[in-house]
Amino acid sequence: MFYVPKDAVYKRVSRRKFLELGGGAAAGLGVGGMTLGLGSTITRSRVQAASSDDAKWKQYAGSKLVFMSENTPPSFAIRDNIKAFTDLTGIEVTILTDDLPVVQQKVGIDLRGGTADYVLNYVQDKPIGSPFADFYADLTPMFGDDTLPQDPEGYGDDAWFTNFLSACGRFYEKGKIVALPYDAAIACTFYRQDLFEANSKDFEAEYGKRLEFNADSTWQDVINMAAFFKKAKEAGKDVPYGYAQHQGSFAWTTQLDIQRFLFANGRWTDWNIDDVYGSKEPGKTNWGDEQSILMMQKFKELGDVCHPDNLANGTLELNTVYQAGNIAMQTQYHEFAASVEDEKTSKAAGGKTAYAPCPKGDPSWIKNGGPAVNGTNCGIGGIGINNNASDDLKRAAYIFAIWSVSKDNQYNVLKGLGGTPTRKSVLELEDVKAAQQRPTTMPNALTFDPVYNYGIKDPHFVLGPKIPNANEYHSILAAEVQKCLSNEQSPEDTCASIQTQLDDLNGA
Amino acid sequence: MATPSQTSTQANHELFRVRQILDQVESKPVSVITEEPASLNAHPSKGYYFWLMAPAIALLAFISLYPFFWMIYMSLHDVEITKTTWNNFANFKNLVTDGRYLNGWLLLFQYSVMCLFLQIAIGVFLAVAINGSRFEKVLVTTMLMPMMMAPIVAGLVWYFLYNGTFGWYHWLLQSVGILGPKSILASSSTAMLGIVIVDVWQWTPLITLITLAGLKRVPQDQLEANMVDGASPLRNFVSVTLPNLYPVLLIAIMLRFMDNFRFIDSALVLTGGGPGNSTKILPIYLFEVSFKFFKLGRGAAIALTLLVVTIILGMLLVKVFDRQQPKKG
Repeated sequence: MFYVPKDAVYKRVSRRKFLELGGGAAAGLGVGGMTLGLGSTITRSRVQAASSDDAKWKQYAGSKLVFMSENTPPSFAIRDNIKAFTDLTGIEVTILTDDLPVVQQKVGIDLRGGTADYVLNYVQDKPIGSPFADFYADLTPMFGDDTLPQDPEGYGDDAWFTNFLSACGRFYEKGKIVALPYDAAIACTFYRQDLFEANSKDFEAEYGKRLEFNADSTWQDVINMAAFFKKAKEAGKDVPYGYAQHQGSFAWTTQLDIQRFLFANGRWTDWNIDDVYGSKEPGKTNWGDEQSILMMQKFKELGDVCHPDNLANGTLELNTVYQAGNIAMQTQYHEFAASVEDEKTSKAAGGKTAYAPCPKGDPSWIKNGGPAVNGTNCGIGGIGINNNASDDLKRAAYIFAIWSVSKDNQYNVLKGLGGTPTRKSVLELEDVKAAQQRPTTMPNALTFDPVYNYGIKDPHFVLGPKIPNANEYHSILAAEVQKCLSNEQSPEDTCASIQTQLDDLNGA
Repeated sequence: MATPSQTSTQANHELFRVRQILDQVESKPVSVITEEPASLNAHPSKGYYFWLMAPAIALLAFISLYPFFWMIYMSLHDVEITKTTWNNFANFKNLVTDGRYLNGWLLLFQYSVMCLFLQIAIGVFLAVAINGSRFEKVLVTTMLMPMMMAPIVAGLVWYFLYNGTFGWYHWLLQSVGILGPKSILASSSTAMLGIVIVDVWQWTPLITLITLAGLKRVPQDQLEANMVDGASPLRNFVSVTLPNLYPVLLIAIMLRFMDNFRFIDSALVLTGGGPGNSTKILPIYLFEVSFKFFKLGRGAAIALTLLVVTIILGMLLVKVFDRQQPKKG
């Protein structure tokens, strides 16, 4: 069929030779891949305090770093723009991204195994920071090191939004800082203004108040709204369900879901420990007290009027339900505004969605004497450095860390893929201020007022609990709350079971 | 020069001699070599064979035995990065009161039994249905496709099919009235079924394949004799085909049983053990303890109990399998 020359290459290579070559190539690739593949490497030119800024940035030119991160917008945007960093420093950075539970497992094995395959880590405050804080390098000596480049804005608490540095950087002690705020997910309320307006009259006829949502709307109001929409939908009216919880398979977001509900009512927390720094020995839990039992009853009441897939929806799935127009309201992390406002994928886009702080506690529910607040919680993702790495690797990693959280970078991420700034200065930029109103080119900015000006401020913001057994605590809590929501056990039994398991977990 | 008569006498004589030799050979008993023939090479010592096997033994020890003994060691200690501390069997003692661990066992047995029952029933039915069919080869090839998929990918595919917002199967099951408004994974009473369906979908073809191989070996003469005696096809299947299938079915059961006991992939993707621990079978709990909570000692203790129970149940199955084998001699 085809002309084959008599001396074709394949005719000159015997089968044995072919197998030998193939085997050799495979072995070479394997060994080469293992030795050169992902490992971080270091090359150093000495600099002094008096060296130029350029020399300080370039002192590790030729080095190679690996950053293991969650698949969130900042990492994608930084990966797209990594050439700028390589041009500035000569350092190559491989950014690997994955779902948070996978990142947690990979960095956990690396850190606890005493290796530094991932010299840079995404330190999500509770699931990664709390259990592994002791395995990260203390950044404070590097903040004052004049042989390293430094950010002109510095790294003090006032450079970041309130509590952000403590949330992801400080664990169990004040002096040591293990991560710099890289991105943030702050809870706020997303609701369908168009549906609220269209159904306000009917709601008012039933509940005696207009169907609207603002900073004074309580969790009781949310239950009423969810019940109203559910009843209307089941009566055949063309409306979606009212609300849905984050009760899917990812235990941490399930814990956060009930945490803000509990905190809103009397600022209830699981343990009497410092909410900012956490504790390695949290002692006896508050679960099982009168307040927690009442809250569990109310949470169950809310669950009963939610979207029927309540127990299958994790945070991402819940947002999809909202985008699909199947619920009228969700408490969601502000980073999701970009996807909600995307007209190609969302029925809630085009000015239909409004943003407000998280619901407030209901004074009549409070038994512990605390205030009713807009309980707002978060996941502050930091960038930290593996303490198993060599000193030079840590220094090179530090250069990337401070570059990645710089104002310019955060601004670029916000403009590009929809980031969530952690530096205050980003919000002071004129076009970011303008973007907080519609029409906007930075959809996440629509949430900035309820989030940065309200939710993260005292007394609404809850940071913890930071405990070494954070992941097992999340798992226990998620499983028991889900059992309650699926009518397998009463709220009282749920609280008792959580209490027993958590006290057992912490040896209290 | 010999005359023709001389030549003829000589030839007869030769023929006679050959016959004599042949008679001698035939009349003698066949000689059996009872002694080892002398070898040109010197007999290698036992050490020689040991060194030949040493690389393989070392490799096996490195990849299998070392981790096994290390797991036993870990299960008896509190394992930290810098030190391991003997904990007086605390990891094992705590398992007895660990509700999630006991629940994990219960769910694992429930899951395995459901999967095995459905896979064997459907697998055998499909094998009988397509055996000898004109399209047998095409059907077998088509049916094998799910098996070629990585379990984690199968889990993801089904996760999307089950999804309450855009899942096609969810819509289908809801449209025909099998499902209510909740998706199959959103309820603790149906989530396990959702996982079982995925396993049945993916691994029933293996049972079909093994059974099909067994069906080819069912003796035709027995079947024909039974039919001549007036047996119905069903009777024929029960009395002739099924007994002949026992050995292959036991192999299939053993394979699937072992697989189910280390199963984790698709369940992890589909539910992660929820809602409310309703699908947290023991391997998922083991994974959580080891790689989410990083309690390596506790994880090793769980793994060891899982291994021991798997071995015991495996041995029981082998024993049953041995009983079904025709006795020799």
